[in-house]
Amino acid sequence: MNLRGGWELIKRSYLGWLAGRGFYWTLTFGWMVPSLLYLFVWATVAGQGQVQGFNRDGFIVYYLCFIMLNQFTYPVCNWTVGDSIRFGRFSTWLLHPMPPMFEVIATDIAMKVVCTPFATLVTMMLLIFLHPALPFSLWSCLYFLPALLLAQILRFLMAYTLALLALWNSRADALLALNDTLIFLLAGEVAPVALLPGWLGILAMVLPFRSMLGFPVEVLTGRLSTVEIWQGFALQSAWVLAVILLYRLVWHQGLRHYASVGG
Amino acid sequence: MLYYLRLIGLFLRASIQEEMAFRLNFVVNILGTILSLTTGILGIAILFHVVTTIQGWTFPETLTLLAIYQLITALQNLVIEPSMNSLGGIDGDAWTGRFDYTLQAPVSTQFLVSFRKWRLWSFIDVSLSLILLCIALTLVGKHIGLLQLALFVFNLCVSLLIVYTIFLLLSSASLWQQGIPLTWIFNSVMQLGRYPVGIYPGALRLLLTWVVPVAFITTIPVEVLTRQASPLVLVAGAAIALGLLALASFCFRMSLRHYTSASS
Repeated sequence: MNLRGGWELIKRSYLGWLAGRGFYWTLTFGWMVPSLLYLFVWATVAGQGQVQGFNRDGFIVYYLCFIMLNQFTYPVCNWTVGDSIRFGRFSTWLLHPMPPMFEVIATDIAMKVVCTPFATLVTMMLLIFLHPALPFSLWSCLYFLPALLLAQILRFLMAYTLALLALWNSRADALLALNDTLIFLLAGEVAPVALLPGWLGILAMVLPFRSMLGFPVEVLTGRLSTVEIWQGFALQSAWVLAVILLYRLVWHQGLRHYASVGG
Repeated sequence: MLYYLRLIGLFLRASIQEEMAFRLNFVVNILGTILSLTTGILGIAILFHVVTTIQGWTFPETLTLLAIYQLITALQNLVIEPSMNSLGGIDGDAWTGRFDYTLQAPVSTQFLVSFRKWRLWSFIDVSLSLILLCIALTLVGKHIGLLQLALFVFNLCVSLLIVYTIFLLLSSASLWQQGIPLTWIFNSVMQLGRYPVGIYPGALRLLLTWVVPVAFITTIPVEVLTRQASPLVLVAGAAIALGLLALASFCFRMSLRHYTSASS
């Protein structure tokens, strides 16, 4: 593993992204608006009384953590990889003496470094303005770290695999939009997964989307018992394995299918 | 006047020809609308699974609000947004320097940047949101008279006028500072109009009523339909729209004077 090369790769993307930070902060703002909307919706609902174990402060803390987590795990390769395939830059990546995935990972990390200060600032301001009681404990923070790591890997790999479908069709946008919708509904953004009714709740517990966002937030805000936490870890790991297998399949088949665009 | 109408006809024809070249966009567009409607409806359904009213709004009323929000965004996507984006958006005319040609055209520049580009697939979005509106109003179950309908259409026009002036203001700003897609910020803020503005805490509510008047854009047309909106609010809405229009036109002219081409 060449650490210095990796660092240079990140630095290059970082400087590129920093130049247009106004643009990226606009994006960051766009990502947090749906969570903000439901923060206020549920806080208003809880103002009328307790909702299944959540009071007003509970909802506020849940959604503020959700905003930060969404920021940390948001896979920018959703659109950069699709674009690079469509415009032919992908061929250059293939010729480099390293797997194109490193290029994608570097962009991903750089984007996070550029956008996180803005997201942190907004979250902190909301925290001061709404001043909820904080439920964090040492144990919840310790359990949170592996949950965050697995969530990050899962969401990144899933997005990368979906974006690689552009190798066949050169437009995977429709699938990515569907993926975003499912994340919105089932990952805990429209409502914490515990509040989803009937079959929607069951779907959310089984499908991988909660493992990407809702689960780490629930761990951090201390909403789960130790058994539930370990069950969550097991589910996350199972989905990571499944997505790795899917990725390998898509990658090998896709490369065979890929006909370069541009020069 | 007739001349301007004929020009709009020409712009429409050019836009149709352009869009026919990318027919797949039609499918992608429909999919996007259906996903947006589904998430909106499911979001409200999940919410009202837990409570019966939110700030005095019932399920059918909130659904009406969603339909109006979708209707206004669809109408905005029909001509206001594509036209303005081709000026101030990413790779827009202000960015590439093509704006010089617009300035040289022998018609009003503001007219040209406002009506130049049409996205016709939005007609489908408009009809889908009208269907949702009819369903929601049936659920509300209140008789709607002719007068109320006329008031509603009047308010819809006021809302669109407000949206138009905001876009014109943002486009003027994009002549000063390029590279930030300001209209995206507005669209994000506009999303907060999917729910009644009463749910937001004090400062944010004031911001959404008086600075970015999302409240006037979405909430008031719903109130006209489902409850009795006070005449004072209707007059205030129209006054705000006209005031904003004057302000935006003035700012646009100032920005034109400031504009110093991007190309050589």
